[in-house]
Amino acid sequence: MLIDVDCHNYWSTADVLIPYLDKHHRDYFTRGELPGPRGAFPHGHRAWLHPEGFKRADINPISEEDNYTIMKEKHLDKYNIDYAVLTGDEAIEASTLANPHYASALVRAYNDYQIEEWLPRDERFVGSICIAPQDPHLAAAEIRRLGHHPRMVQVLASHGSTRPYGDPFYHPIFEACAEVGLPFAIHLGGQGGINSNPIAAGPTTYFWETHAILPQAAMTHMASMIAQGVFEKFPSLYFVIIECGVAWVPSVLWRLDANYKALRKETPWLKRLPSEYFRDHIRFTTQPLERPDNLQHLWSVLEAMDGKNTLLFASDYPHWDYDDVNNLHIPPEWRENIMGGNAMQVYTRLQDLEAQKQTAKGELHV
Amino acid sequence: MSDNKHIVCKTSDVSPGLQKIVQVGRMSIGIFNIEDQYHAMLNVCPHQGAALCEGPVCGTSANTEKAEFVYCKENALVRCAWHGWEFDIKSGEFLVDPSIKAKTFPVSVEGEDIYVHI
Repeated sequence: MLIDVDCHNYWSTADVLIPYLDKHHRDYFTRGELPGPRGAFPHGHRAWLHPEGFKRADINPISEEDNYTIMKEKHLDKYNIDYAVLTGDEAIEASTLANPHYASALVRAYNDYQIEEWLPRDERFVGSICIAPQDPHLAAAEIRRLGHHPRMVQVLASHGSTRPYGDPFYHPIFEACAEVGLPFAIHLGGQGGINSNPIAAGPTTYFWETHAILPQAAMTHMASMIAQGVFEKFPSLYFVIIECGVAWVPSVLWRLDANYKALRKETPWLKRLPSEYFRDHIRFTTQPLERPDNLQHLWSVLEAMDGKNTLLFASDYPHWDYDDVNNLHIPPEWRENIMGGNAMQVYTRLQDLEAQKQTAKGELHV
Repeated sequence: MSDNKHIVCKTSDVSPGLQKIVQVGRMSIGIFNIEDQYHAMLNVCPHQGAALCEGPVCGTSANTEKAEFVYCKENALVRCAWHGWEFDIKSGEFLVDPSIKAKTFPVSVEGEDIYVHI
């Protein structure tokens, strides 16, 4: 079983959303100001511009259709991927807009576009319900609107946010996730606009420098989700952290455990060590997996976070820092879990789809 | 209760919230008063060996299901002087992980004298 939990379904222009926008916000989009030329997705941009652009240079779609056909050839078919979790691309950047109604309209349009124009193309595709978390109640409504779609496997927000995700402000989102039985995932992104604090100590200078330390915000989210008792309040919830690095995780868990032991009294709603909540509720995706000169250094760290059971394979297709399926540097005996087994456990919708697929196969053979 | 008992101090030396550190042979021991019952704990933290009994005697927040703070174990808990681990004075248990215990000793009182049984 090979499951890619971070596969970006690109568009060539955000105009693909027009048919899916409500009339009120369609006017904003077609007549209003955009952050770039026609076809730009409305968002507050980050302060760092990639000097080469994000895409792999060998992937150059011209028509909208190319976005799928190239992915099929160079990724899905090439590696024989069983399921690819679509993570969109610019849609999560709606989290940067000050107007939560416009932001919510944009992700709603994206979700419908995804369901109408991507999922039917390939049975290997499963989707993410993108949300604009700056209005948690509107986000929760979107989760409930689509939360029972059999091929929508998670709720997705940017890792850039106005406050740490464990904050009770966001709990309506987790309540909705728990209600429809979907994991809550965050993906690197949303570092502009109202999400004005992506880097501690102030903005760094260069893109590569910044990209390496963007996981800072993910550390905050992990600590916050645990300390605020989100997993006591919603015991079935999984929290998936996508593209935010991996090797830092054990060191932060060690620090959280140490501090909790001393100051448990601040959070009497917690019943276990922070690392135990991590183990049962938080999953990290591999890409871009750190690569020290001595691989043993990485593997020791991965072992300290029980990587065999807490890591999910992600390619980040078609980005510049893509991880190749066949060259992922993980212990060989963990491969089955990380390449698909763990994702199957977290994304319960995939279990249902797989069961249906097996049943259909069985019927075919009868 | 062991017969190997040692007189360590007077009852008037120990009041609720104010412990007394005594020496028995080579051992440093904290003597505590919880509602006029006396308790003794080895002044060595199982975490890193710090002077456990020299930390504040206080209470803490009871386990709850939500964001509310119910003060409990008032004067029945000592926070280690260094890292603040909370120990139940009567049982010696570390609140986060009761399998970790500070060493405690039986205590008896004769008149105004407090004895620790080693």
